[in-house]
Amino acid sequence: MLSGLFKRFTTKKNSKDAAKKRLQFSLIYDKLEVNDTTLTDLQQDIVDVISKYFEIDKDSLELKVKRDENVSALVFNTPILHVKRKQV
Amino acid sequence: MEGKIIVVTSGKGGVGKTTATSSIGAALALEGNRVAIVDMDIGLRNLDVVMGLENRIVFNIVDVVQDRCKIEQAAIRDRRIENLFLIPASQSDNKDVLTTAGIERIAKQLRSKFDYIIMDSPAGIERGFENSVVSADEALVICTPDVSAVRDADRVIGLLYARSLSPKLIVNRIEPARVMRGEMLSHEDVLEVLSIDLVGLVPMDEKVLISSNTGTPLVLQTDSKAGAAFRQIARRLNGEADLPIEMPVYKTSMWQKISKTFGLKQ
Ligand SMILES: Nc1ncnc2c1ncn2[C@@H]1O[C@H](COP(=O)(O)OP(=O)(O)OP(=O)(O)O)[C@@H](O)[C@H]1O
Ligand SMILES: [Mg+2]
Repeated sequence: MLSGLFKRFTTKKNSKDAAKKRLQFSLIYDKLEVNDTTLTDLQQDIVDVISKYFEIDKDSLELKVKRDENVSALVFNTPILHVKRKQV
Repeated sequence: MEGKIIVVTSGKGGVGKTTATSSIGAALALEGNRVAIVDMDIGLRNLDVVMGLENRIVFNIVDVVQDRCKIEQAAIRDRRIENLFLIPASQSDNKDVLTTAGIERIAKQLRSKFDYIIMDSPAGIERGFENSVVSADEALVICTPDVSAVRDADRVIGLLYARSLSPKLIVNRIEPARVMRGEMLSHEDVLEVLSIDLVGLVPMDEKVLISSNTGTPLVLQTDSKAGAAFRQIARRLNGEADLPIEMPVYKTSMWQKISKTFGLKQ
């Protein structure tokens, strides 16, 4: 009781709680960082797959990782020029 | 039987890799194993001075990898602890002289000559780190209870998992009084953030500096709390995996004593 009272007067908010919260956030955020080579490789693979079905404009497509506070999304944007005929 | 290579690493510098390597190595030797401690910090060697063996260096790890000498010629025998050997780093070479292929070549020989080979990794995640982990059978990650050390530990843990190593954590430089005041992350906090297995908790201890000042093994100092913690870690690594992990003790404050005297509930 006495020590609880004493604690209340001396410590405002525990700084370690701030440390822990910030760490938990940054570790998740760090792992969402995608390096350039991964992104380039991924773009190539996606283009290969899509090109089987569509003719796309390879110069104006874009691949991005969008991040904000709570979600992270992979955005792939491409104009379609033609739909390829399915080969039987 | 083949020996085991254990790498000690951290990402962040100055958190206690060298202290841990020398202490755990010495403790494993005291447990009756034949132990080689290898300084992988090329160009910035330290293990030799910490262990008090700096005057006896003839050959080093680079000489071994480049075939200028045999492992036996480079391994300095500790005169205080039986079966403890140090293979020093080279002080003059560029840190890129060693390659992972070179280390893999001598790893086999090391395993045939020693029960445990402890590799003291340099700070960082570059070449020196790669060389230290390439042949490792087990990995120990050291961190201190602060945001940068924990974040770097997380990065290194990821890199070790990518190499199929499941690292175990040592939290070093714990200050129980500050943990109690809520000024320092507790080991529970660190474990929750990193979610890996713990192998030991090492308190902040003045004896660490004193033992490195004089080049005497920390684990031989009976009154050293850190030394005792490292001996426990060595036993856990050496087959006693279930040895309970002691929590660093919190010194009782005046207020706790007073409330105890008055029979007050905390
Ligand atoms: N438990 C401890 N209590 C008190 N001091 C400690 C403790 N552990 C390490 N130290 C001190 O911290 C400093 C750094 O330790 P050490 O050299 O072992 O770290 P390191 O991780 O090997 O550093 P580097 O990254 O530069 O190789 C040293 O001065 C050492 O004495
Ligand atoms: Mg070191």
